[in-house]
Amino acid sequence: MCAVPKPECEEALDRLFEYIDHELPEDEIHRIGEHLKECPPCEAEHKINEKIKRLVNKTGHDVAPEDLRARILQTIRATRPDGA
Amino acid sequence: MTDITEFDFEAEALSYMDQLYAAALRMTRNGADAEDLVQETFAKAFAAQDKFTPGTNLKAWLYRIQTNAFINTYRKKQREPKRSDAETVEDWQLAAAAEHTSSGLASAEDNALDALGDDEIKRALSELSDDFRMAVYLSDVEGFAYKEIAQIMDTPVGTVMSRLHRGRKLLREKLRDYAAERGLYEKAPMKKDQKDKDGGVCRAEA
Repeated sequence: MCAVPKPECEEALDRLFEYIDHELPEDEIHRIGEHLKECPPCEAEHKINEKIKRLVNKTGHDVAPEDLRARILQTIRATRPDGA
Repeated sequence: MTDITEFDFEAEALSYMDQLYAAALRMTRNGADAEDLVQETFAKAFAAQDKFTPGTNLKAWLYRIQTNAFINTYRKKQREPKRSDAETVEDWQLAAAAEHTSSGLASAEDNALDALGDDEIKRALSELSDDFRMAVYLSDVEGFAYKEIAQIMDTPVGTVMSRLHRGRKLLREKLRDYAAERGLYEKAPMKKDQKDKDGGVCRAEA
């Protein structure tokens, strides 16, 4: 047992958000992916953070009210250079 | 009069209205202000359309206009105390290793998350400060890359990463609190006790 996380754990946890956000180069994605497969505590962190990202994603899809759309179209028409 | 190959700024810009409105709701946390903000964003975008280069990222350009409008108009109106921006990359990096929690706690937390509703997620997000909330929203909902968020928020990429780290940590903490309030999750005991149990243990070597 390792009482403190191993260096591989530290790298994975340091880079976890970048990993989840697809911001890392291929080799790092591969290295961290391999570590997550063999380290349950790191994988648990990964799963939780990925789940929260997914839950936040689900909440964001509001639709603009119709009258707002109408008002914006009106504004645009008024500012069109050709007045069309 | 319109050449078929000509970039249709109007149609392209209008296609982002729902997304800009959803973002405006998260920014202002208020439906009436969100509508005003989106209207202002489109008025500004159309007035400045000559400054947009076709082929570059219109969505990010519109979000940049909206973010600026929010900061200049609504943030002042809301009189929210501006956060002190002592965010550095280093301190979250130092803190990251502490997140190695015990697998029992982690799976309880994971299960509790499934039981939380959209309203609770929205509430937790709305309780974050503007900068954290927007960074998390732009990444998680809109899928912008760090570089794009940096352009939209007019800040270095390192600051975006720091805001994402801190914002997500706070968000997670709030979700844990909600889950604990509903009896879905028992919060972790003191950190030092955890170490003596199975917390912080790398099970791969066990």
